[in-house]
Amino acid sequence: MKKTLVMFFVAALVILSVIVWIFHAKLTWGTQEILMVSGVVIIAGFALILGIKRLLSHLRKEPAEDEFSKKIMTRASSLSYYISLYLWLMLMYLSDETGLECHTLIGAGILGMALVFFFSWIGVKLLGTGHE
Amino acid sequence: MNNRIRELRARHNLSQLELAQKVGVRRETIVFLEKGRYNPSLRLAHDIALVFGLPIEEVFLFHDHE
Repeated sequence: MKKTLVMFFVAALVILSVIVWIFHAKLTWGTQEILMVSGVVIIAGFALILGIKRLLSHLRKEPAEDEFSKKIMTRASSLSYYISLYLWLMLMYLSDETGLECHTLIGAGILGMALVFFFSWIGVKLLGTGHE
Repeated sequence: MNNRIRELRARHNLSQLELAQKVGVRRETIVFLEKGRYNPSLRLAHDIALVFGLPIEEVFLFHDHE
């Protein structure tokens, strides 16, 4: 239950930070800003979904984690790590080509890694691990 | 690997949630097991077989060519 509350707290903190950022940064809402905000919203939504799943498990008196959910997490983590290596290579190439600023590059990399993990988790979850 | 969990669960009149609670996993895990989209650990396979009172090889069916 403690872990579920922490997940909710972190997700709420991320959403709050984005709201504060949007209001204070006076964004111009170009493609880059829209992509960044969408990415953060997807990640915060993902954390909320995981939190709700854990809460429902708690209400059903099920364990919040078991061997299957841990396996899904492990597989998604290893897959996203592998894909992220290529993501950073691509970002480094893009920074050379377009002259991206360092903080933009790091921000895009961190956001990209989180998104890659989210999509890896969805993919592993949909396919299952029965073929292994 | 195939399994007879769905059939045995129906025979023992157990819901997915009841079986999950008996073996200490989430209901979702039973769903994925029944669909053949997850191969359980030896411990979980043993616990499921124990619930049905059968040896593991009568619940989980292995094919020689796999």
